[in-house]
Amino acid sequence: MNKSGKTKFNLGSFLRRSSVPIMFIIICAFCIPLSGLSPSYLINEIVTRMGRNAFLILSLLIPIMAGMGLNFGMTLGAMAGEIGLILASDWQIIGIPGMILAMILSIPISILLGLFCGKILNMAKGREMITSYIMAFFINGVYLFVVLYMMGSVIPIKHNNIKLPRGYGIRNTVSLLSMRQKLDNLIPLTINGVKIPVATFIVIAVLCLFIMWFRRTKLGQDMRAVGQDMEVARDAGINVERTRIISIIMSTILAGIGMIIYLQNMGNIATYSSHSQIGMFCIAALLVGGASVDKASIGNVFLGVILFHLMFIVAPKAGAAITGDSMIGEYFRVFVSYAVITIALIMYETSKRKQKKMGGEALRQAQLEEEKK
Amino acid sequence: MKSKRKLLFRLIALLLIIGIAAWMFVIGRGHTIYFDNKPLEANGETYSSPYQIQVLVDGESVCKLKEGDRGMATTMGQDFEMILAITQEKDAKKQGVKVSLKLPYNMDGIIINLPALLGGASEDVYRSEFIQTVVEEDDEQAPTGSDEFEMPMGDE
Repeated sequence: MNKSGKTKFNLGSFLRRSSVPIMFIIICAFCIPLSGLSPSYLINEIVTRMGRNAFLILSLLIPIMAGMGLNFGMTLGAMAGEIGLILASDWQIIGIPGMILAMILSIPISILLGLFCGKILNMAKGREMITSYIMAFFINGVYLFVVLYMMGSVIPIKHNNIKLPRGYGIRNTVSLLSMRQKLDNLIPLTINGVKIPVATFIVIAVLCLFIMWFRRTKLGQDMRAVGQDMEVARDAGINVERTRIISIIMSTILAGIGMIIYLQNMGNIATYSSHSQIGMFCIAALLVGGASVDKASIGNVFLGVILFHLMFIVAPKAGAAITGDSMIGEYFRVFVSYAVITIALIMYETSKRKQKKMGGEALRQAQLEEEKK
Repeated sequence: MKSKRKLLFRLIALLLIIGIAAWMFVIGRGHTIYFDNKPLEANGETYSSPYQIQVLVDGESVCKLKEGDRGMATTMGQDFEMILAITQEKDAKKQGVKVSLKLPYNMDGIIINLPALLGGASEDVYRSEFIQTVVEEDDEQAPTGSDEFEMPMGDE
């Protein structure tokens, strides 16, 4: 810090912190010309994908703020969103009202799942990410039980185009044709051939404003305090466990709403697989945007969506151009997605150990000085 | 006192959400309307079909129906308005008729016989429910399928 109180710019630390986005910028700069895709096509795709994914990724910010790391349990919210959409589709509530109803239906399910997840994560402090990751698999089993066996037999499902021919269980794919891109096309705007989903962006902007406002509230400050140091926060009179549970519940609810926005853009639900990879890819996108396990901002979300999805779009074509096989590009993007999560986790663990070591070192120095006196 | 106020706010929020959901149920109910331009005999009266009927919903042409044709449109809510451009005979001039209908909430698919509707028949004559025939299919294997995020090596 200098005299005016501003932090001095340190190129080394900036490069270290931004290594992942820089790496992705280099990959994209290399792949874009090879892919042969036109700029207008790329911009169109990026804008569409930003509208589709940004809300989901934003749902990850609150648990990071509360020091719970990357919430792999956002899949739970995605499942709740899917259940809401299945029910709204069966009740033939279409368009924007159908989406709103699905969101309302998903909220209590998300609250219950978030509460459960939060309680479990409180029992596994310091191991939140792996616990939430495994929890997503566990709840997926419950989801399968509900959707595959209870819907149609216990939970009434009227329409045969949703039900499996055996009379119970939901089909592999549920059409959302009656809701398809209704939010995206609510306020139509096309600039130079680029279709802009204005209404979706407004919803995303509202969420961004909410997050910015929330950070300044008492609860938001509590979450930040808990995220920085749980013991200090507890000493300051903050109910740490409750704060952590609330952060997970909020994230789960937002993930459910985000999943509904995501699926309305896609136009159908892959009932048994839509949610399965969503957590992984949202987390990868956030990390690509320069976020870390303990620090993430709204800017990271948007940068991440742009870079990660740009790589998603160009990698198969670039792979095909280089090797003659587009599958290489497919594998490359999958490899990169997992790799970026791994790198982020390693970096987090390394910096944590480094800090611990530095803390220990400082303590040793202090003790030595004490002895000298 | 504070906890009572908190409880009251929560109750109001809950009621508001339930109210919004109920409102969505009413305004968002989708119906598929099938338009028939088929002659109909009912209650001793014959409603003959014109040469062509063009159906316009929200200013957009939904279908052009010659005698014996069926068209369809999807609508939201229980109030349905359409404009029928009727050509009685070939090369004759089109006549526009604005029609407003109240749709029953419980029907997904509604068949409207246009000649009967235009002939002033009662609701139960020109309107009937479309019931989808159930086609026997093999049980599909449920947990498969993909989306754009599916991993090529997915479950392995």
